[in-house]
Amino acid sequence: MSGRHAHGAPECVALFAKLSEYLDGELERGACADVEDHMADCEGCREFLESLRRAVAHVASMEAPELPENFKRDILSAYARTRESS
Amino acid sequence: MDEHSDSAALLSRIRADLPGAFDEFVARFAGPIYAFGMKFCGEREDARDVLQDTLLQAYRSLRDLEHAEAMTSWLYRVAANACLMKRRKGKFEPEREISLEELLPGPGDDARVQIPDPASLPYDDAVRAETKARVQKAIGDLPAAYRIVLVMRDMEQLKTQEVAAALGLEISAVKMRLHRARLMIRKTLEESYAADRRANGRA
Repeated sequence: MSGRHAHGAPECVALFAKLSEYLDGELERGACADVEDHMADCEGCREFLESLRRAVAHVASMEAPELPENFKRDILSAYARTRESS
Repeated sequence: MDEHSDSAALLSRIRADLPGAFDEFVARFAGPIYAFGMKFCGEREDARDVLQDTLLQAYRSLRDLEHAEAMTSWLYRVAANACLMKRRKGKFEPEREISLEELLPGPGDDARVQIPDPASLPYDDAVRAETKARVQKAIGDLPAAYRIVLVMRDMEQLKTQEVAAALGLEISAVKMRLHRARLMIRKTLEESYAADRRANGRA
């Protein structure tokens, strides 16, 4: 770690706005290289990026709840009622 | 709500109002729409209302849909509206956009990552249930306009353009809200795990 700047410097703040696009692979090559260069030099930003990556992974790993069977029956009944009344 | 090759055939039966078309529509989409409603609302009864409103409203509107391949994105649009109406009574926009500065770590915050890596969580049902509850609460605490984008992008795995089309937002607005939603989740989880560490005397 060469530590050319203290974490929290303006370049860290500027990078902060781009981290989701970086994680999603949506940054252009030049901007992506800038993020990686910065990360190589800034432990604080590396830690922050890792905590963001973990937070996103936790959200993505939430399971899809199963549909209760009676909910489906209720909708079919509601639809039948609207057909009868129309 | 995955696309299927028989969307065109189903749409034809819906347009013709053939017997069984609604049943087929429900069989195909009720599960994914309920799951979507649960991810956003977090409560069964609210998700049931979203499901019923979405299916009944969408079924009527789908007769006018021109392209069968747009069926899924149309359903997301109707379901997202139903979610937002449910929670915010029609208020689509946040009071104000949350600034990035509010989500920057403070000078006194511990820079070390506190959130456990989901890939290395122990195979312990209690730990996993506790983690899930913590994440669910963090999602539920998000403002609705941010939460809907997070659910669609990070839980439903929709593309940015698909979310923008469904919500009637610019792509830049979807990216901005997604980033803030993720930052809010990160901040909530970091603070929650950091509090645990302090309480356990491991800080």
